[in-house]
Amino acid sequence: MDVNAIFLQVVTGLQSGALYALVALGLSLIFGTLGVVNFAHGALYAIAAYAAVVISTNVGSFLLAIVVVPPILFLVGIVLERGLIRYFYDRPHTDQILVTFGLALVIEETLKWIFGANNVPFALPEWGQGQTIFYSAIDKIPPVPIFQEAPQIWMPFIDGFIAYPTWRLLLVVVSLVTVLGLFALLQFTRFGLVVRAGMRDPQMLRFLGINITQRFAIVFGIGAMIAGIAGVFGGPITQVAPTVAMELLVPSFLVVVIGGMGSMPGALIAAVLLGLCLSFSAEVSWLQQIIIYLVAVVVLLVRPRGLLGKKGVAE
Amino acid sequence: MSNPIQDTRQNTRMREFVLIVSFAVIVILGPFWLPVIGGYEALATKIVIWCIFALGFDILLGFTGYLSFGHAAFFGISAYVTGVMLRDVSGEILIAMPAAFAASLIAAVFIGFITLRRTGIYFAILTLAFAQMLHAAALSSILQKWTGGDNGLTMDTKPSLLGLEMQGLTVFYFSSIFLIIMFVIARQIRRSSFGLMLRAIKENPMRMEYTGVNVQAYKLSAFVISAMYAGLAGSLMVIYEPYVATKFLNWTTSGEVVIMSVMGGVNTLIGPMIGATFMLYFENVVQGVIGEQWKLVLGLIFVLVVIFLPGGFMDGFNRIRRLFGTKADPRRHNVPDKPQRASDIYDRKNTAGDYAD
Amino acid sequence: MDAKPLLEVRGVSKSFGGLKALNDVNLSIAEGTTHAIIGPNGAGKSTLLNCLIGLLHVDSGSVTFDGKPLKGVKPYEIIQRGIARVFQTPQIFPGMSLMQNVAIAALARQDGKFKVNPHITLDAGHPAMEQAEYNLQRVGLADFRYGDAEHLSRGDKRRLELAICLAAEAKLLLLDEPTAGMSRHDTNRTIDLLKEIAETGITKVVIEHDMHVVFSLAKRISVLAQGAIIAEGAPEEVRGNPKVREAYLGGSHE
Repeated sequence: MDVNAIFLQVVTGLQSGALYALVALGLSLIFGTLGVVNFAHGALYAIAAYAAVVISTNVGSFLLAIVVVPPILFLVGIVLERGLIRYFYDRPHTDQILVTFGLALVIEETLKWIFGANNVPFALPEWGQGQTIFYSAIDKIPPVPIFQEAPQIWMPFIDGFIAYPTWRLLLVVVSLVTVLGLFALLQFTRFGLVVRAGMRDPQMLRFLGINITQRFAIVFGIGAMIAGIAGVFGGPITQVAPTVAMELLVPSFLVVVIGGMGSMPGALIAAVLLGLCLSFSAEVSWLQQIIIYLVAVVVLLVRPRGLLGKKGVAE
Repeated sequence: MSNPIQDTRQNTRMREFVLIVSFAVIVILGPFWLPVIGGYEALATKIVIWCIFALGFDILLGFTGYLSFGHAAFFGISAYVTGVMLRDVSGEILIAMPAAFAASLIAAVFIGFITLRRTGIYFAILTLAFAQMLHAAALSSILQKWTGGDNGLTMDTKPSLLGLEMQGLTVFYFSSIFLIIMFVIARQIRRSSFGLMLRAIKENPMRMEYTGVNVQAYKLSAFVISAMYAGLAGSLMVIYEPYVATKFLNWTTSGEVVIMSVMGGVNTLIGPMIGATFMLYFENVVQGVIGEQWKLVLGLIFVLVVIFLPGGFMDGFNRIRRLFGTKADPRRHNVPDKPQRASDIYDRKNTAGDYAD
Repeated sequence: MDAKPLLEVRGVSKSFGGLKALNDVNLSIAEGTTHAIIGPNGAGKSTLLNCLIGLLHVDSGSVTFDGKPLKGVKPYEIIQRGIARVFQTPQIFPGMSLMQNVAIAALARQDGKFKVNPHITLDAGHPAMEQAEYNLQRVGLADFRYGDAEHLSRGDKRRLELAICLAAEAKLLLLDEPTAGMSRHDTNRTIDLLKEIAETGITKVVIEHDMHVVFSLAKRISVLAQGAIIAEGAPEEVRGNPKVREAYLGGSHE
């Protein structure tokens, strides 16, 4: 296998991993802080994708969608938490699964009702279309306008040049930015400090008189917002249909579980790992279809708490 | 001089007999009373099949406390094997059904052994992962020539039982007999010491472990038994309608049995069957009235049940009975992974009665 | 006292990472006695208990019960051999009646670790129910036999747990802080019940903090501190032992 093929597969892997990473990150954040298993997370992604497509086609500006949809999802998250989820903190995990599963179903059916069961076409904005060129030396790029005018990234070790869809790269970048943003929020703000402490030892926090439940709504909102970001940028890739909610949830859940419930770094690593597995197994199509499940099963059996999971969490 | 133990035994056996007979009568008369409320004959068969599925599911969820999101695996495997046997080997269901049974048994032991090593959410996801794997496999290029891939498995064969063609009401009565038998079995499990052990595992698995019980073995038994029910249902489904859809293996099917069981009320056996009836009625009859939004309405009902009526419809009936004075305790959770109070459809009287309840 | 030791712990050591939780522990529990294990917090009592019950594998040394080694034997198997355990927080089956609670233990005794016999209905005449009735009588809970275990007071839950252990016909009863969190009244009642049970010849190993309980029940005491047995003997001997005083940094609360 030559360098170019490998490079392409790695980038593809990162891109599919990026989408799972965003959804999984929100899931992991919510589970790690609130202890809630949110089966409705894929539905939140779907809401975002639909909102984005509506805004970008009706108002004509994709940029507007980028700006408006994540905050909308943030509010949706807060409303959900205050209105429904918080009544389930004391109930067993399985009840949480059931209610969020039901919620996902309701959201999916509502979207189907409003938009129909079929795929809503989601066109890429002009600035996001086309290819990006990876090149090893500037003279390796063919003197064709499409390539010459496209964004160019220097990648020294490849052979010649490789063209890759710009939007998919954008998704990787956006994911990275989101991850870093979340990391900064958790590491460098007081809010983040309380959340992290709450993840580690909620009882201690309560004992210290710090009201963690107020912050739960915000955390849920953030989780939803991240799903929102994923929905806006991922929508054009995954298609916008009611079924996309669960289609994305299952692998994302596996990512969370493989990475370790409640571990966000774990979720990221697992997402990248799975993305790479998917892209490297693309040649053997039957393997590609089942590889996610296979890896999940193997990991869960060999290391039940996941790659970086905390011991004793929902085992 | 009367023997109190013998008297109690007589009473409980009498009660049990009445229950079974009433159930059998309601089931057999399905094609007659169902149309009265807007249903139709063929729907009765579908309901019977899903009742079998839900009944077995309750043994795993309601009794033993394990929420599986992958039971479509057994429904689907059985359906596909039945389909392949009918299409490629013989239209004789006495050949197809045992083959399907064997296939789902093997799958159940294998999958159960692996997934039951974990509990709670991990278990749920592992079962989901296995089922999705099988779903992907059925769609894959390798198995397509058997499964028909995306289009599902179609056949020209008409299934028959020793020459008797399986169609219409015949399938209904055939399935009903199975349902009644499976109900009797489920009831017997509940009333037996074996059933008590299963339910004790749900209450406090650690205590079970420390009372010298091989919890894993019991869990696996419950899993395999419930998978057998699912497999039987899958097989009957193909006999009822000689077509195997890929969605039989999909999480949507797993989700449906979860919804029916929880909506009806887990740990009651009757509850999940009521849930199945309700859901299928909704899908096939109510849809005609309110149109495509039936699933949305059903979803809303499900969510409301989970929030406000964790014990399902059965719990609802009990609460109504409570209003009229009889003693029946409301349920707090759907499926505990913390210990909870189990609720039965029978009153928990403070006198000798059916001990297994 | 020349009774054959029912439980023999020889040279047991157990480390977790760098921490040596148990260091060459030797114990000899004679049949029919009540043997207390005391020690300050963190001494390794829970670890020792878990090693005895097969939950933890010992790094070195051996545990022998009734003449047979417990190495590599599964926990439920160990229980079947005749050990029963009582937990700090009484572990019972809350959603079931008292009769059912004890019947489960009786069934585990009669049917063994696993038996698929769904054809046997558990009704009034079933031997397990007789056992349940009998053992509930022994602990004084027979009046509540059909009530839900959930509603019992902590003290009564402890009694129920003991009834479960009795129904399991255990030879050795491991009691993990049996009076933890109990009122004076409940503690005394529990002590009385344990004394009654002792009369049946059952062997008891009690881990306790409450010295009143220890001195009321134990014929022999082993003191565990920092993973090692620092003293052992009859209660009076241990009481006066300066090493024990030192380990507790200020002594017992009587």
